[in-house]
Amino acid sequence: MYFEVNGKQVFASTGGRPFDNRKPTVIFLHGSGLDHTFWGLHARFFAFRKYAVLVPDLPGHTHSEGPALASIEAMADWLNDVTEALDANDISLVAHSQGCLIALEFASRFPDKVLSASLIASGLATPVNDFLLNAAENDPDAAIAMMLGWGFGSAGHMHQGPIPGSSMVASAGKVMRGNVPSALAADLKACNDYKNGKEAASGMAGPIQVIVAGKDRMAPRKATMELAEHLADPEVTLIPESGHMIPQEVSNQCRALLKEFIFSNNPAT
Amino acid sequence: MSRFLNFDTLSLHAGQVVDPEFGARAAPIYQTTSYVFPDTDTASSIFNLERGGHAYSRITNPTVGVLEQRIAALEGGSAAVCTSSGMAATFCAITAILEQGDHIVASTQMYGGNISLMKNTLPRFGITTTFVDPTDTDGFRNAIQENTKLIYGELIGNPGLDILDLEEIGKIGVDHHVPVMIDATFNTPYLCRCFDYGANMTVHSLTKWMGGHGVAIGGVVVDGGNFDWGTTDKFPTITEPYAPFSGIKFWEEFGPSAFATRIRAEAMRDIGPSMSPMNAFLLLQGIETLSLRMGRHLSNTMDLLDYLSNHDQVSWVNHPSLPSHSSHELARKYLPKGAGSIISFRVHGGREAGKAFIENVELASHLANVGDAKTLIIHPASTTHSRIDADALVAAGITEDMIRLSVGLEDVADIKADFENGFRATKRVANG
Repeated sequence: MYFEVNGKQVFASTGGRPFDNRKPTVIFLHGSGLDHTFWGLHARFFAFRKYAVLVPDLPGHTHSEGPALASIEAMADWLNDVTEALDANDISLVAHSQGCLIALEFASRFPDKVLSASLIASGLATPVNDFLLNAAENDPDAAIAMMLGWGFGSAGHMHQGPIPGSSMVASAGKVMRGNVPSALAADLKACNDYKNGKEAASGMAGPIQVIVAGKDRMAPRKATMELAEHLADPEVTLIPESGHMIPQEVSNQCRALLKEFIFSNNPAT
Repeated sequence: MSRFLNFDTLSLHAGQVVDPEFGARAAPIYQTTSYVFPDTDTASSIFNLERGGHAYSRITNPTVGVLEQRIAALEGGSAAVCTSSGMAATFCAITAILEQGDHIVASTQMYGGNISLMKNTLPRFGITTTFVDPTDTDGFRNAIQENTKLIYGELIGNPGLDILDLEEIGKIGVDHHVPVMIDATFNTPYLCRCFDYGANMTVHSLTKWMGGHGVAIGGVVVDGGNFDWGTTDKFPTITEPYAPFSGIKFWEEFGPSAFATRIRAEAMRDIGPSMSPMNAFLLLQGIETLSLRMGRHLSNTMDLLDYLSNHDQVSWVNHPSLPSHSSHELARKYLPKGAGSIISFRVHGGREAGKAFIENVELASHLANVGDAKTLIIHPASTTHSRIDADALVAAGITEDMIRLSVGLEDVADIKADFENGFRATKRVANG
C-alpha cells in the first residue's frame, strides 16, 4: 500500500492482507539496496495469521519516494514516522543486516512501541570497506556483484530459491539494479558511519531474538555474536549452513524460528 | 564461494541440492503426483504462497524445479516455469498478460506453430497480432497500438534466419511500456542471453538444442525480472488483485518474479500443461553438455557452410554467419560465438531436385524437428510451414525448393559423404 510520510510517498507491502492497526504489527526491515520483496513469503505468512504486516521500502528504494536517507538514525526516525502515520501498535520488529541497525536505534529510542525484536545476520556495526563504498557510487554493477557474491551462501550461488523455479540471487540482483547508485550508496555509507550500536543495544528492552548465519561473509558470525552479547538475554540461534541471506537461503527454518518467537511474545488473537 | 559460477559450471550444477538421504549425484526423478504434508499449517502455507514447497506435480515438482532453476541461472532470469512443450510455454506466457482486446506485434519469421497460434488461435480469444518483417525495426515501432501488450519474435528467425535487432526492439518496448518476449529456442543462452540486450522474457522449446538428444518434449518460460509492470495500468493480471489467491498482487509481492509467479499460480493450475519429471530429468542430462554440444554444432555448421557454398549442385546457401546474409552484422553483434546450426539451401533443379536430395540421403534424417544431436533435414513448404498460406510463406522467406538442414554432431566427413549421395540424385533430376 502507498501512504504519505512527511510529504513523501511511501510503499509498504502488507503481506497480501489489508493493514489493520487493531492487530499486533510485524514490521520487516530490509537490508542495503534491497526492498520489500526480500521478505515476501514471510510477510504473507504473518499477514494470514492475524497480524498486521508492514514491509516498507526505505525512502529512495523501489516504490518509495526518495531521496534515500543518509544515516541509520534518520532511518529510525523515519520508521517512527511510519508507525505514527499508520498508528501501528504492539510492534514486533524483524530485521535483516542493515535493517537490524535501524531496529536497534528504533527499539532503543521508542521502547514502548516494541514488543519484540528479531535480529538476523548483523552486528553492532557494519563497517563497509572503501572498495565497496566507491563501487556503489561509481561502478554499481561491480558493487552488486560483490554484495551478491559475498551475501549468498552456496544455495544462492546454485540459484536455488524459496519458491520452486525461482533464483534468489538473480531476483536480489534485479532489485538492487533498480536501487543504484543512489540508494545502495547511501545505505552502505549509513552502515559504515553508524557508531551507536553498543549504546542502542544496551537500551533495548523486551524479548530479543538473534539469528546467526554460520557461513556469513557480510556480517561474520563473530560480529553477530558480539551483538548478542550486548543485548539483554537474547534467544540466539545459529544456522550453520546458511550465508548472510538467511530469510531466503533457509526460509523455512527462518520462518519457523520467527513464528515460535513472535507467536509467544506478541500473540495475535 | 564468493564469486559467481560460470556458464559451464551452472549447466552442471545450478538448481540442484545433492540428495541429503542417499547422496545421489544426479538429480533424482521424483515420479510422484503429490506430496505428504507434515501438518495442516504447512499445507495451507504452500497453497497460499507463504512458503516454498510442493503440493501437486501439475504446479511444481522437485525434478522439474531443478531444471527451472538451472535454466533461469543460464539465462540470467529471476525465475522459470517449465511446461509440457515449447508451444505450451508460449501460450502460457502470452495469456499471463494478454486478454480479450489486446494486441501483439510479432515477427513474420517464426516457427509455423507460433504464427498459427497468433494468426488463428489467439484471435478466437480476442487477441490480435500485427506481423512485421524482422529486419524492419521501424515497422515494429509503427505497428504498436494503444492496446499493444507484447512484442514477440525469434532472435534467429525460422527458417529465413534473419536476426532481430534486439537492442532496438528493446528500446521500442521501453518507449511504449510493452514487454519484449523472445523465442530463444534457436540461440539458447549459450549463444545469446537475450536479457542482456533488452528482452524481458524468453520462451524455449527445450526439445531442441537445450535437451539436444531428441528424446523429450518440453518448454520453458523464463522471467527476465527486468520489466517494471507497475509504470502504467496496462497489465492488471500482474499488478491488480488476483481473487483466487486471496487478492494477491503479484507485482507488489513478488517483484522480479511476478510474471513467472502469475504463470505458476494461474496457467499451471487452471490449464495444467506441466512437464513430466522424467522429461525434466532427460532434459537436465542434455543441458549438462550444452556448451560442448553447441561448440560441435557450430564447428560442423561452419564446415558445412564452406562445403555447400562451393558445391556445384547448390544454387543458394543461407546462414547469418555468411557475409552475404543480410543479418550478418547483427549476427556478429548478438551471436559472436556463432549464429546457430540451422542452414537453409536450395539445389539446382527446383522442387523435384530438392525432393530427390531428401530421399537419397541416409545418415541425415528426414523429420520435423531441429536441434537434435543427429543431422536432420526437411522441406519446410510441405511440412512445418505447410499450414500457413502462400503470402505468409513468402513473408517467412520460404520457397518451394528450400531445404532446411539442422546440423548434428556426427563426424562432418560422414555428413558430407551422405550429402554426396543426395547431390548425385539431384544431378540426375537437373540433367533430366
